[in-house]
Amino acid sequence: MILLVVLALAATGFLAGRARALKTAGGDPRDLHSLPGYHGQMVLLFTAVPALLLMAGWVLIQPAVIERNAAAVLTPADIPSGSSAALVMSDVRRIAGGLDALAAREGLSEAGVAALGADSGGLRDRLGAVGVALGGEVGPGVFEAANLYRTETRGGRTAMTVAVALTALGGLFLSLRRIRPDLRARNVSESFVLALLIGSSLIAVLTTVGIIASLLFESLNFFRLYPIKDFLLSLTWNPQFRGGSELGIWPLLWGTLYVSLIALLVATPIGLMIAIYLSEYASKRTRTIVKPAIEILAGIPTIVYGLFALVTVGPMLRDYFAQPLGLGSSSSSVMTAGLVMGIMVIPFVSSLSDDIINAVPQSLRDGSLGLGATPSETIKQVVLPAALPGVVGAILLAASRAIGETMIVVMGAGAAAKLSLNPFEAMTTVTVKIVSQLTGDTEFASPETLVAFALGLTLFTITLALNIFALYIVRKYREQYE
Amino acid sequence: MNDMTRREAEITATAIKISARNAQVYYGDNHAIKDVDVDIHDRMVTAFIGPSGCGKSTFLRCLNRMNDTIPSCRVEGRITLDGEDIYDKRVDPVQLRAKVGMVFQKPNPFPKSIFDNVAYGPRIHGLTRSKAELDEVVETSLRRAALWKEVKDRLHQPGTGLSGGQQQRLCIARAIATSPEVLLMDEPCSALDPIATAQVEELIDELRAQFSVVIVTHSMQQAARVSQRTAFFHLGNLVEFGETTQIFTKPRDPRTESYITGRIG
Repeated sequence: MILLVVLALAATGFLAGRARALKTAGGDPRDLHSLPGYHGQMVLLFTAVPALLLMAGWVLIQPAVIERNAAAVLTPADIPSGSSAALVMSDVRRIAGGLDALAAREGLSEAGVAALGADSGGLRDRLGAVGVALGGEVGPGVFEAANLYRTETRGGRTAMTVAVALTALGGLFLSLRRIRPDLRARNVSESFVLALLIGSSLIAVLTTVGIIASLLFESLNFFRLYPIKDFLLSLTWNPQFRGGSELGIWPLLWGTLYVSLIALLVATPIGLMIAIYLSEYASKRTRTIVKPAIEILAGIPTIVYGLFALVTVGPMLRDYFAQPLGLGSSSSSVMTAGLVMGIMVIPFVSSLSDDIINAVPQSLRDGSLGLGATPSETIKQVVLPAALPGVVGAILLAASRAIGETMIVVMGAGAAAKLSLNPFEAMTTVTVKIVSQLTGDTEFASPETLVAFALGLTLFTITLALNIFALYIVRKYREQYE
Repeated sequence: MNDMTRREAEITATAIKISARNAQVYYGDNHAIKDVDVDIHDRMVTAFIGPSGCGKSTFLRCLNRMNDTIPSCRVEGRITLDGEDIYDKRVDPVQLRAKVGMVFQKPNPFPKSIFDNVAYGPRIHGLTRSKAELDEVVETSLRRAALWKEVKDRLHQPGTGLSGGQQQRLCIARAIATSPEVLLMDEPCSALDPIATAQVEELIDELRAQFSVVIVTHSMQQAARVSQRTAFFHLGNLVEFGETTQIFTKPRDPRTESYITGRIG
């Protein structure tokens, strides 16, 4: 509601600012420093931005303040044994909501609501009638806190509406009054755009920082409960829900690396050959058809690849390779997941390598052809060596994609953590275990759950290192020909 | 190719190495080279001069079929090397280019070591039987390109690390290591400073002892300094072709005269 008001005010400000700018210039926009539209934009920004910032700040801070005030009302006696202040506070919030609903339904006045507290038994039933089911009687302290919570919330909201509206109006009038022909409104609105751009990039950076921070924080919690030495060095992964688990990362890391390795063994040669064909041999028309067609592979949801692994590739590998060779009888295997994942990352390798091979200067090809080399000798001896650093970068990017993959592994390789060399055996990876540890039924604060964060941190470190390494290589290569 | 007997008529004071008769080049619908007749003599430097876009580089690239790499390009007419049509279906362009080497406008050393750059041609054509022989070919080529003294202690460092002039001489060494019969040079000095240019020009003069050299250049002084015969191209036509001294002192065609004196181009 207040949001709409602010936006309406801002729109008015835009029109008024434009009109006023024109008027101060005597109707001739050439006398203005900035176009009338910029004046309008400036008024709009001064109206909307401070008001919206105030509103955002208020919305963030108000609940915390009110919660503190309400909590101050509660005495230790209001908190039953075996419960905690946090649980009581969530009751307080629910009762406050219930009281609001009750007041609206029965048309109670403020005094009427306050009087409800006297009849605590009846209150529970009446609250139940508006959809707030409570586990016990509402004690007087809790009721008082809830009522305070409710009135302060309402008061805060009114105050916020007024304050925001006043800020918007104030911004509107102040900026309207500033309008003069020589006002540099264009610069004002452009520096706002600059701030917006910086803000957007900050969001991305801060998110990364936030993710790392939360991973680090929870991992520290985990290492307080479980020795870091065992996590990094133990070769057994055996979580027990009753405690006493062995949470060694190696079986999972091995599975991850094994699956990724097979995936890369599949994707690198195929992707590279696709890239060579597309960039060196294919005609322009073939290229415009084939390249997007291959990139479709990258657009298939991984769960669909997972299905493909589960119902087609897995059983086929078992029937035609694993069983005849006596290597196992499981349809989920590292090989299945690796093959399917390899197909998935082909476009990463082929597309990037294609771009990189294309970036090799034509003069090098001419030089080699001019010496009497065949096109194929030219590719092998000149183009590929020149493109090699970039191609390695492409492969590393594909690797970090493969390491982070979950769905294909769950459906293709199973969920058994095992250290084995046999590619036809079921194994599992770090990502799969993160999912299964976090979605389990154990208490959140147990090492069995928190290990997920340590695993995530490990994985993040590996892929981050791979990405940085890949970007470094790609960048170094790019500079070579500029 | 060599087993064909040269036609008696083509043997003059110095033998004619390459001859083009009625050559036409098209880029798609664009008629880039019109009715060009040129004879390139053996062991002589022939210069192609003319304003930008006149087709001299295009024509140069026809002589070793480098234009094959451009899909829209089409060559008509008869161009012969030692009397044999190089556009004949039986001719392998790869073999042809081993005989007719090329040096490009911009130095384009491969991202390999200096040694590997020069050894590239001999290796792919299997010209040497032993490592020692290859070493020798590399050394002679670098010596003839006047680069040996500067690089003999850093043969295994990347060729891209050399200076522009050194890179161009490396490319020339690379081209002569294949022991071609004709060396085509497409503005080999346009990216070089005057000192490097002088070195390359001196080199061209020495190369004349073994090869026939064709050089495209924008610098009339350079053409006058290094070449014995000069061809002047204008708008895809060969305007005048003759002894360099004659072209520069007594041009027969008014267009040649105005280009040389700087009035067109």
